[in-house]
Amino acid sequence: MLEAAIAIAAIAIGAGLAVSIGAIGPAVGEGYVAGKAVEAIARQPEAENSIRTTMILGQAITESTGIYSLAIALLLIFSFGMPLVGRLLELLG
Amino acid sequence: METNIVFHILGMPVSDNVLWTWIIMAVLIVGSWIFTRNLKRIPTGFQHVIELAVDGIEGLVVRDIGDKGKAFVPFILTLGLFILFANFAGMLPMGVSPTASLSTTAALAVLVFLVSHGAEIKEKGLKAYLKGYVDPFFILLPLNIIGEISKVLSHAFRLYGNLFGGGIILGIIYMFIPYVVPGVLNVWFGFFQGIIQTAVFVMLAIVYIQVRL
Repeated sequence: MLEAAIAIAAIAIGAGLAVSIGAIGPAVGEGYVAGKAVEAIARQPEAENSIRTTMILGQAITESTGIYSLAIALLLIFSFGMPLVGRLLELLG
Repeated sequence: METNIVFHILGMPVSDNVLWTWIIMAVLIVGSWIFTRNLKRIPTGFQHVIELAVDGIEGLVVRDIGDKGKAFVPFILTLGLFILFANFAGMLPMGVSPTASLSTTAALAVLVFLVSHGAEIKEKGLKAYLKGYVDPFFILLPLNIIGEISKVLSHAFRLYGNLFGGGIILGIIYMFIPYVVPGVLNVWFGFFQGIIQTAVFVMLAIVYIQVRL
């Protein structure tokens, strides 16, 4: 029972770490892209539309690493964590 | 990630995602039929909005792919309409976003994969297509294959992760503050994120097709 409890705690911590650490990179990157896009629009306001679409595309691709860590966290919680919680509740009766 | 089975048809389980996919398909088909029933040369009323949408997507596709891209406009437009409506469905009471399920987004990503690779085979022929995998050196074959697989994976996971993650955050906020705040956040995640994620998915689909052509 203790083993199951420790495993659940480890999974919860792991999922939290996966999202929080994995969110740092994309957040910095997306902010950088947005800042550069603002600079570009300030320099060339007539190109605003094409800059905006390029910016959103770049941010979307930057975001995929963050999405991967989210997927890992979801996998940890729903595929490994939830069955363990069910087994622990069964053991507790 | 559990699926809620709503009812059974001939012993086949139908989940709420599939049910809402069917509802959105019905709305789109009936809506397309109603709004394009009597098109006029000089547009009036709602025809303006339709022409604006079609023109916008066509401009986007032609700008990226070129004149060859005109063949893909119906596909891209259908993809965008379905994803937009699917994202908005989560805002309705009792509504479920089909795009918040990995099965739907994976199917859409595989569809884009098939269309882009099929277009390349049709354009360049099977031999040139297969040669693209050993380009520029033979050693890069595994790398190219992994690159293609990761494109599909990230395309599917991006839409799914955003929608599903938004739903989870909404659920957590709802547990803490059940009044007003979830409503505002619902509009944010449903409306704003829905439009942005649709644009991202559609633009990436265009880029993936353009890269293969």
